[in-house]
Amino acid sequence: MQVPAQLFYSWHGYAMSSSHSSDRARQVLAAIFDSAVDGIVVIDAQGLIEAFNPAAERLFGYSEREVIGQNVKMLMPAPYRHEHDGYLERYRQTGEARIIGIGREVQGLRRDGTVFPLHLSVGEMAVDGERQYTGILHDLSARVTLESRLRASEERWRSIIESAVDAIIVIDARGIVEAFNPGAERLFGYRESEIVGRNVSALMPSPYREEHDGYLSRYLTTGDAKIIGIGREVAGRRADGSLFPLHLSVGEMLLGGERKFTGILHDLSSRVEMEAQLREQAALVRLGEMAAVIAHEVKNPLAGIRGAVQVIGGRLAKDSREAAVIGEILSRIDTLNALIQDLLVFARPPQPKPAPVDVSPLLLGTVELLGSDPALSGVRIDVVGSAPPLAADAELLKIVFVNLLVNSAHAMRGEGRIQVSIGVANGSCRVAVADAGPGISPEIREKIFTPFFTTKSRGTGLGLPTAKRLIEAHHGTIHIDCPPGGGTTVTVQLPLATARSSGAVLESI
Amino acid sequence: MTDRHLRILVVEDEALIRWSIAETLGQEGHTVMEADDAASAVRALEDADGDIDVVLLDYRLPDSNDLGLLANVRRLRPRSAVVMMTAYGTPEVTEGALALGAYRVVGKPFDMHGLGSLVAAAHDARGR
Repeated sequence: MQVPAQLFYSWHGYAMSSSHSSDRARQVLAAIFDSAVDGIVVIDAQGLIEAFNPAAERLFGYSEREVIGQNVKMLMPAPYRHEHDGYLERYRQTGEARIIGIGREVQGLRRDGTVFPLHLSVGEMAVDGERQYTGILHDLSARVTLESRLRASEERWRSIIESAVDAIIVIDARGIVEAFNPGAERLFGYRESEIVGRNVSALMPSPYREEHDGYLSRYLTTGDAKIIGIGREVAGRRADGSLFPLHLSVGEMLLGGERKFTGILHDLSSRVEMEAQLREQAALVRLGEMAAVIAHEVKNPLAGIRGAVQVIGGRLAKDSREAAVIGEILSRIDTLNALIQDLLVFARPPQPKPAPVDVSPLLLGTVELLGSDPALSGVRIDVVGSAPPLAADAELLKIVFVNLLVNSAHAMRGEGRIQVSIGVANGSCRVAVADAGPGISPEIREKIFTPFFTTKSRGTGLGLPTAKRLIEAHHGTIHIDCPPGGGTTVTVQLPLATARSSGAVLESI
Repeated sequence: MTDRHLRILVVEDEALIRWSIAETLGQEGHTVMEADDAASAVRALEDADGDIDVVLLDYRLPDSNDLGLLANVRRLRPRSAVVMMTAYGTPEVTEGALALGAYRVVGKPFDMHGLGSLVAAAHDARGR
């Protein structure tokens, strides 16, 4: 509001009673001045305050009387306070206006010392040849508070989205990616800049990749939602082409009149892996229960058959053909029993009883035991190296090493040399059993720890799974390598006994 | 190895095992009594005239599936040697049986040829 000089005069009748203005106009102007919501402050060319309306009193907390004749800079915080006289001086000399005739956001200083934002517009006038300036001041405290709240809120949302563990992806109605948060970058292995602007189908495997545009357009035309508003498990495709399971929930929003879709994606890889492990565990528990039944229902009658056949066979003439047949029957029964015994050892949850075990003598003893097995008579087994004692169950470890050595011997068709190396690596005892057999193809190596998988014509397929189960019950690991030089090396790693852990290193599974 | 003629109780529900044991030990000159469940075993132990030198005891019977029967045998006939037989012997069962005073726990099936010497050894161990 620009106040014409003549009218301004009439406000201040006390200072400059004018015979040119009517009483009526004076009253109107005085009422405007007093009732204005915005502050009105009039200063002279030196910056001294000439008028200060009630709104300005409310704004600054000063009464009119306290400020009239004072320099207006008292209403400004540093550094403007110290610069204001200079501004006025410069304007007078150069005519270069910073605020006059323009208006801008500035800061005000209240009587109580608090600083607040305000919009100031200044008009210039000449009264009796003297320059005066009229400032209209609009309080911005409320607007600035709202803006800073909005800014804080936006920052909060931004940091939530940036820091989210889950991936957040925004697409438009055509499926073009508009936002791709750091969680999404981690999940898919793409940089935001690589994927924004591309079709989101790039993150999907076939056939969804080809069908996604169709899903979207169908949804937009029919409203028939398959995922939007629902969420489900889908497959994702990383930048390197690998696939992984994820849970996808999609929300729809209207942004500036445009439909957008926000997808929140949660990686399920570890959960799916864990589920597989749990399934395997559950299968082992069932197998254990089954084995207990088989033990009684098969081994008991088998014992009866074996005993009775042996008694009857004992009554036959020693050199008779029948006596030889009885011998064959007994050996078949023993083979059957050994198979069931293998199954029991595998299926029964291993409960290691840890005690200090010296691996080197244990292995030498195992090798000696196998020396009496005619199937291994053509095999030479060398044991080299040593390691500090383990906290382990010697009986269970013997089963492991017998299984590994017998496997190696079979792989070499009972002829050749097996090297057993004992050592320490990464705080673990490392036992490597290396044979000079034909090696194992990668496809077979993948399945080699699967129960009942066998390549032998007469194997149970339980030797390596049992070894693995027993080693894992000792918190150890087992893996198989086929070095380029040929043969197969099975490496077992078992935690070494430490003073702290020797009592607790083992627990049943 | 004093008395080669022993009085032996076989407690076993599988008839073929019972028969095989009775035949094998009978041929070696021992007297074999038979029981096919826990109840008849207890009756035999309570009623038998004279000593029972060795009890061959199945772990799992129609009316018994724990070490309670072994404890009962030990209480009724403290001087009898006991050999446990089991088709599914866990280490816990074996330890428990030995702690209760069983001479040995053998896994089924077992070879009949060694049975005579096993029974004699069990009896000798108790005699000491």
